[in-house]
This record gives sequence, structure tokens and C-alpha cells, in this order.
Amino acid sequence: MLKEVLSQIFRKPATQKYPEVKPKVPDGFRGRQIFDIDLCIGCGLCARDCPAKAIEMVDVEGKKKPLFHLDLCIFCYQCAESCPRNAIKTSGFFELASTNKHELVVKPQINLQKRSEA
Amino acid sequence: MTNVEQNILTALSNKLGEKILQIQTPQPRKVFVRVNAGVHRDALRVLLDKDESAGISAITGVDLGEKIELMYHIRTHGTIVTIRTEVSREDARIKSITDLIPGAIFHEREVTDLFGVIFEGYPSPKRLILSENWPKNLFPLRKDAEITNIEDKLEKVTVLDEDKRSSDGGTLVNIIMGPQHPAFIEPEKFSLKVDGEIVKEVKPRIGYVHRGVEKAAEKRTYLQDIYLVERICGICNACHAACFCQTVEAIMGTKAPPRAKYLRTVVLELNRIHSHMLLLGHAGLEIGYESFFQYMWRDREPIMDMMELLTGNRVIASFSTIGGVRRDFKEEKIPKIKVELATLKEKMSFYKHLFDRDPTLKMRTKNVGVLNKREALKLCVVGPVARGSDVKMDVRKDEPYAAYDEIPFKIITYNEGDSWARLMVRLDEISESIDIINFALDNLPSGSYRIRVPRIVPAGEALGRVEAPRGELFYYVKSNGTAYPERVKVRTPTFSNILSFVQIAEGGNIADVPASFVSLDPCFSCTDR
Repeated sequence: MLKEVLSQIFRKPATQKYPEVKPKVPDGFRGRQIFDIDLCIGCGLCARDCPAKAIEMVDVEGKKKPLFHLDLCIFCYQCAESCPRNAIKTSGFFELASTNKHELVVKPQINLQKRSEA
Repeated sequence: MTNVEQNILTALSNKLGEKILQIQTPQPRKVFVRVNAGVHRDALRVLLDKDESAGISAITGVDLGEKIELMYHIRTHGTIVTIRTEVSREDARIKSITDLIPGAIFHEREVTDLFGVIFEGYPSPKRLILSENWPKNLFPLRKDAEITNIEDKLEKVTVLDEDKRSSDGGTLVNIIMGPQHPAFIEPEKFSLKVDGEIVKEVKPRIGYVHRGVEKAAEKRTYLQDIYLVERICGICNACHAACFCQTVEAIMGTKAPPRAKYLRTVVLELNRIHSHMLLLGHAGLEIGYESFFQYMWRDREPIMDMMELLTGNRVIASFSTIGGVRRDFKEEKIPKIKVELATLKEKMSFYKHLFDRDPTLKMRTKNVGVLNKREALKLCVVGPVARGSDVKMDVRKDEPYAAYDEIPFKIITYNEGDSWARLMVRLDEISESIDIINFALDNLPSGSYRIRVPRIVPAGEALGRVEAPRGELFYYVKSNGTAYPERVKVRTPTFSNILSFVQIAEGGNIADVPASFVSLDPCFSCTDR
């Protein structure tokens, strides 16, 4: 063991230098979801299957769309799996810490830019 | 039906004859025998006479409305024999079986707390899971229990049920370890009676982190329950999810595709490796060997990265689902994993050498906390604790699930029965797990990794067992034909093992209590559910 301890002196630390050096997450990492309102048909399957009850269906221009409470979300991605139109996509974004929990509510918003292009 | 099941049924019907009301064999290696209350002790005696290594896996209570059904799940020769009997709801009384199987004490006390069934001839009828101020006649797992406004209904308890005066005229000193104690990571309490430095008596009390997961599971759909049961234990989360999924699959009569079975095996073994390494490091910390702790945890980190690479998260895998697994492994990831595993295997031989030679480790673990084979069988311990006491028992071999029937591996046993043996079992199992993963990755079958299953599960019931890192994990799921389960019973490995701590600590030195305790790999979030 002493050999191992001594050799450790000349090695670099095993820990990561976060936040100066951001770790690279592998693809397929379950980070914050990206919701695409144009693909959503408002079926509500994501809200029904959510184990943490973190998805609420709210009215957007008369149609039901999901609102994500990221403070309740357990990042299991069942919503992305249940969505019949792939409107909920994955991302590797994980830095979600916030001092205000209202910032963690993701409201469904109409993508105006995309609509004007079309 | 195999020969083992046939033999058990013949023995039972020879002895009991007309008293057996019903026999069912819905799954392979599972036998259900219905008897009247009172006859359950005779049935148990038949099983114990036939196989001296038979032990109790769990006691499940189910609320049937007018009656409460009790199921005694006995494991014998790799088969679970369930003796089911009913007691009336108003006068829920049954004879205790603790004189036949001492390991059943906690199982009975749990049923008393949660269902209000009184076991006659009970050694200690105190609360185990619920708190002392919980309302007297409110049994949470009964279907009509109203668990609302609980603050108004609580009993007034001023002095806890702690025995202040010792029975021996005052030579013994009471030491209470817990619920918060620096040596324990989780809240649990042990009341020790100490004569000088020697521990004379240990009384365990659990339930400080009881969250009612079994009740919560009844209120959620099967799909949501996978994520709920996964959160019973952070460390062995993949085992809980896989066990729940394979139990529900057994009710549905579906089978996960071969590729899914292999993928599950890989993740379950990664789970085992990181759990064992966490425990070995923690044991180093309790022994006072901090560099061992640091290096073990440093070497554990590549395993966590592997989990992240394969499942999408370091800790909570969310990998298994009913009908298979949720994602496939990409071919290009496999070589990277094999390289990491090869490095880890080399390091494991270094640690094994260390455990064989290092005087510090040996002094603190050799001949400390001895649990001999006879006691281990009597207390029905599971997993590495049993294997450290030379009990050859491993669900992966006894009742192969996932792909374990196709993968060659050895059951590691040591016959010393001390803390050292229990830690060595884990060290050797890591090397064995690395070989299992390598074999599984080399022989990954092609094909689909998931089949779609309906959300509604047909009425029925099933048992499931998985060898979690800490031992046999047991699930019982009953379905009533809807999308919500009627009953989910979880018996975690530590719940079976915790009773052996009394045996291990009594007669030992008080300074050895934390180190020998940690060699059991206790997990109280698991135990309390």
C-alpha cells in the first residue's frame, strides 16, 4: 500500500476541476428535456405517465400543452418515451441549480420565429 | 414441474393429507399451498425437517376485505414454497412461527405494524416500522386505512419505550447508538448493554426512514412504479427495477427478449461492482484505514462513468422496463468498457493481496464478529453475509433470472464467518462480476431489446427474486386486472440480515461494533422502504 500511496504523489488529482473545467457528458445522458411545441398534439400521455407528476397540461391558444416542473422532475425520460410524436427530446444540459424554483418551471411557448418562417 | 417441486408437494401431502386446501404452481420454482390458520406451523415443520438449510424469505400480508391473507414464503432447494392462510379482520390472530424459525421475528413484527395481525407467542411485541406515536388502530397497508390529517390522530408519547433501568442490578451500562451516529450513514438505532468494553446485549430498532413505498405503489400505475421502486435504494436501484419488471412480466406471461436479458445482466453486474466497492471503501473508513477508502472510491469512479455511458445517469439507471430494457448499447461503446474493466481487474488483485497481507486490515477484521454457519441458517441471512459463513446460496444460481443460466460463474464462499470473510466474498465477487460482464458483452444476442406490453396487467400474482449486491431481493406483486397493482411487497436483503448483527456484536468489543456492523453492508433506506 505504501508504494501506491507514494506513487500517488506524482500523479494528477483524480477529481475533476469543476466548474473551471466542464465535464463532457456522454451522448444519451438524461439532462433537461427540450420540448418542441410544433410537434405536440396535446394528447397528455406525458403527463399521465410521469412518475413524479412533474408535467401539468395547460392551455396555450385553446390547446392543452405540457408545462414542465423541473424542480419535481426526476429525469427518467418516461415522457420522451411515451410521446407519440417525439416532441420531447433529450439534451445533455445538467446545470440546473437555481436559487429560485420558479425559474425551473418551463412553460410551453409558441415558437413565433419558426411560425413566421413557415 | 421439476422434481424438487414434486418432492416438496409429496412430503407435504404425506404429512398433512386432507389439511391442504389448495395447491398452485403458477410459475416455475414457485409453489403455493393453502392451509387453514394453525396448520401453517405443521406445514412449516415439514419443510424444515426436509431441508435443514430452508429459511424464510418473507411474510406477505394482503388485505382481502373481510379477511387478511398471510403468506409465508419459504425458500428451500432454490424453490419458493408459499404457505398461505387467512385470518379474520376483526380478530386477526395467528400462532407465531419464531420458535421454529428465529429469523422470522422481524417479518412478523412488520406484519403486525402494517396489518394489525397479532402473532401469539411473540418474543417482543414492540413497534418496528412505525413510530411510537402512530395511532393505535391505524394499520397503513389495510385498504380502508385513512392516512389523512395524521397530525391530529397521533398518540401522545412523552417517554420513549427505552429501558432505562438495567435488569442486572446496575453493572451494565446502556449505550444508545443512533438514530444519528457518526459511524452510521443512515438513521437506525441500536441499544447496547455494555459490561466494561464487552457488548452484552443489542436491541435494534429500524423504521426511521419508512416512507410507505409499498402503499404508494398501489396508487401509481405499473409504469410509474418502476421509477418508484428504483428509488427505494440508490445503490442497488437497477436490481429493484429489474426485479419488479420481471415479476410483472411473470404475471403477464411475457418474456423479455434474449438481448434485453443480456443487457440487464450487464447493468445488474455493474451495479454489484460499484455497490461492493462502495462498501469496501466504507469498511476501510470504519476500520480507520483512510487511504484504502480513498483509493477504493477513486477506482469506483470509472464504473459510475460506465453506468452513465450505458444508461444515461451515474446513479439511477432507469434501465429496465416491463418487457425488456429502455435503451440499446451502441457497439462502439463496448471496447471502451472492456478496457476499463481490464484495468479494474488488475487493481482488484492488488486489493486482494492487500487484504491477505496488510496487518491493519487483518487485525480489525479477522476473528471479529463471527457468525457461524448454524447461526446463519437459523437467522435466515442472505447474500454475502450468508456466503461469508459458508452458506452456498445465490439467487443467480438457485433460480437463474436474466441471462445467468447461460453465463458461467462461481459462487464465492468463505468458511471463516468473520468480518474479513464477508469483505473477501465481496472482493472476489467483483472479479467474478467483471468476467460475467465480459462474457455477456462477447455473447450479446442480436434482435430487439424490448417488446411493447399493454398498460393493463391481467389479474394474477407473481413472486420475483433477484440477487442484489446485498443478497436476495424479494418482490411479490398482485394484480387485480387494472393498470394499478393491488399489492406490491418488497423484502430487501438488509431486512433479513439486520437480525444477525445482534449475534455478531454480542460478546465482542464495543470498539469493533462499527467495523463489524459495516461488514454486513447495511442499507436502511432499503430496509425501511
